[in-house]
Amino acid sequence: MALTRREFLKWSGSAGAAAAALCLGFDLKPVQSYASELKILKAKESTTICPYCAVGCGLIAHQKKSGKLLNTEGDPDHPINEGSLCAKGAALFQMTVNKARIRTPLYRAPESDEWEEIEWEDALEMIAERVKKTRDATFTQKNDKGQVVNRTTGIAHVGSAALDNEECWVLQGIMRALGLVFIEHQARI
Amino acid sequence: MAGKYFFVDTTRCTACRGCQIACKNWNKQRASKTTQYGSYQNPSDLDGNTFRLVRFMEHPSKQNSMVWYFFTEACRHCLKPACQKKADQIKKGAIVVNDFGAVLFTKETKELEKAFKAIKQACPWSIPTWNKKDRQIVKCHMCHDRVAAGLPTSCSKACPTGALNFGEEAAIKKLANERLAAAKKKFGGKGEILDLDDVRVLYLIIDEQSKYRPVAI
Repeated sequence: MALTRREFLKWSGSAGAAAAALCLGFDLKPVQSYASELKILKAKESTTICPYCAVGCGLIAHQKKSGKLLNTEGDPDHPINEGSLCAKGAALFQMTVNKARIRTPLYRAPESDEWEEIEWEDALEMIAERVKKTRDATFTQKNDKGQVVNRTTGIAHVGSAALDNEECWVLQGIMRALGLVFIEHQARI
Repeated sequence: MAGKYFFVDTTRCTACRGCQIACKNWNKQRASKTTQYGSYQNPSDLDGNTFRLVRFMEHPSKQNSMVWYFFTEACRHCLKPACQKKADQIKKGAIVVNDFGAVLFTKETKELEKAFKAIKQACPWSIPTWNKKDRQIVKCHMCHDRVAAGLPTSCSKACPTGALNFGEEAAIKKLANERLAAAKKKFGGKGEILDLDDVRVLYLIIDEQSKYRPVAI
């Protein structure tokens, strides 16, 4: 019998499984009918960091071939958490796959009590316009003593523990360039 | 029969509920609608969407103003499951025990709706619950799909403090004895391991059993 290497592996694999099942010596039928294939068996694995707090636990994200997220769980090789997670980290999956997730920017007009969905482009333009207006109106070059300060106290920025190092660097760059001095972190409020 | 065992060191549990949510995450269970009833424990009991629950128990204490015990509860995977015995009277094979000792409720428990109450009462800890959506009896299945593939259970993998452990019988019993000795040293001779010879989930506690869950047997 001529076998290719691939065929040989396939054949020996199934024979091994059958032998293992026989060795157990009891009826596996009901159990087999219950057992399902591990859903993450063929999934693509990539690592990520939990965005919730500053501990920075590592996670493995399992993806389907289509790119759809299948599961998330702790990364045993990560030095911070070694596979463990708290309740928030363990629930990370539903941050992505969640019907309640907001998918577009929402806008509430002054004195209105309703949120309306708007386009990203409109939202960004609206924000940029207001930042420019407020910044120009409140920018001070010199303080009362005549010292050069080049700052605005009309805008504040609140960051979050979910920001990574690189994002923080970019935000600091932009906010300092605008002249902001109130640059805070959500966890200190 | 050797097999897989859990060991829960309640003295190490901080009630972060990582295990509870990791369980829900693996089984992709929805949140249960609950109401505030005066405890941090949520939901108030195991249900069709919750196979593992961290119980919060408060008691007045002589030494301290109060003690607060945490108890992560799920199916104990008994060596001789009473639920299986009960179910076998009606439909053989609806509840099965697999090769590493996990007690599994198959899809055939769909046909046991009328017997559900009897099966729940047969369990010393009333663990089995009725899932309204799938219309079958459900409970912890020891992540049989993960364990068969060589992975740890979802809950024990998530535990950050080493309170919830999972592994081979010999290793887990060794760990349990070590932790028992450590607990006795730390808590003035108090400490016991529950149901050592009957179940696959070993709990180390340092106070009366009834202080850890509402109806302890």
